[in-house]
Amino acid sequence: MDEQNAMKSLVVPGDLDALATIRRYVQAAAEQASLEKQQAYRLGLAVDELATNIVTHGYADSAAAGTIEVQATIDARTLKITLEDTAHPFDPTQQDTPADLDMPLDERGIGGLGIFLALNGIDDFTYERVDNRNRNTLVVYRPASEVSP
Amino acid sequence: MAFTSNLEVTNGIARITLVGELDAAVAPQFRAQVEEAARSQARRLVIFMQDLSYMASAGLRALAFAKQKMGSDVDIYMIGAQESIQETLRMTGFHHSVILLDSYDAAQIEAI
Repeated sequence: MDEQNAMKSLVVPGDLDALATIRRYVQAAAEQASLEKQQAYRLGLAVDELATNIVTHGYADSAAAGTIEVQATIDARTLKITLEDTAHPFDPTQQDTPADLDMPLDERGIGGLGIFLALNGIDDFTYERVDNRNRNTLVVYRPASEVSP
Repeated sequence: MAFTSNLEVTNGIARITLVGELDAAVAPQFRAQVEEAARSQARRLVIFMQDLSYMASAGLRALAFAKQKMGSDVDIYMIGAQESIQETLRMTGFHHSVILLDSYDAAQIEAI
């Protein structure tokens, strides 16, 4: 398979009830790309955490409601998921990594865990601000056995 | 699978059974039961997770809230957490603060 295979994109309202719908879409893409079970779970978690962040920080902080557009693209080597929203600019790569991960739960902060899990569960991540939209791109390498010679 | 969270408190042990997918949309249900467990002055919190197929960071925040609300001397047991969920607990260091068991161990959990 040399060419890109883009799945029909998914557009959902930017609210928490849409999270399950987004996870189903990512799960279908992961199956189509023959990801391993653990890769598929981590990717699903990553997308879910970023979408949660868009809803609870992006749209909740601004007066205007918005949508989240999800697009899966599969090529010979990768599965790529893009998430786009119209909330204020937010670059997940600029967030501090939680510093106190090994501290007891009652002595530590618990912010930033979602973004931390998202960025550590996938192979590549980029953030861009394009036409007043946030675009998060998540990339997972498909298992080698699935790659054509 | 739709998410459900059920709480039972007997003899000072709070038991919460989680089923389905725990994301930010449903985490408030879990958190409400954690608050109820804390109000019951339970000495242990046991969370049954065999049928929990997914847990986002919203679930972690509810767990941290449990530890802070119930006090650091209240042990939290997680029973039968699936491998993916255990990985999330390890990545975020939560495995240091909860006790992970494959199955319910009455001798360990119910001992005073």
